[in-house]
Amino acid sequence: MAINEPSANLPLADVLRAANRLVAAKLIEDWALGGALAAIYYVEPFTTYDADIFFIPADKGLTAGIPAIYTHLQSQGWQVEREHLLVRGFPVQFLAAHGLTEEAVREAEHIDYEGVPAKVFRAEHIVAIAASVGRAKDKARIEQMLQQSGLDKTQLEKILQRHKLKLPTI
Amino acid sequence: MKLEMRQKLAREPFAEKIRKVGQLIWLAKTFRRRPAKPQPAAK
Repeated sequence: MAINEPSANLPLADVLRAANRLVAAKLIEDWALGGALAAIYYVEPFTTYDADIFFIPADKGLTAGIPAIYTHLQSQGWQVEREHLLVRGFPVQFLAAHGLTEEAVREAEHIDYEGVPAKVFRAEHIVAIAASVGRAKDKARIEQMLQQSGLDKTQLEKILQRHKLKLPTI
Repeated sequence: MKLEMRQKLAREPFAEKIRKVGQLIWLAKTFRRRPAKPQPAAK
């Protein structure tokens, strides 16, 4: 199937493969799956409309190498729609990691998804990031993660302290 | 949904959960809520 052909299946393997190719092309240093799809690794499935790939830039300049990443992916058949890149009609956001998200990328869990090596944020980092953002949907995500993910509460407390964060009252 | 059912879903393999997310997105797009039909003006 062509890379830009829409599919009823979520093309996550294509997204992860593309992220690995960006490392091979030295456009990014490292990456991990974050956002809702990372949360779904630990909790029940729910609807989400994009994939968030957090990356550590190889280019430490102001643009974090994003123009080169877009050019590379467009040459592979990806389309651009506002802040998203589309693969088979599914939106993907590439976000430069820093601070807490950079730590989350570096300490992410290594997984194998349909034969593609990948990294996904650890449950404790997902909760800490949600606490740092603090929207209504982040509070809901924290509650869901605390109920279902079996996360390490000691580890979560250490991350929260290190980044001067507190869990919201739920 | 009961908490134990939700926890059972949470323990499913990631690929299976992603397949279900794909289905949820398809359902949401297919049965997107349409704006209500305009009602005839009251006489």
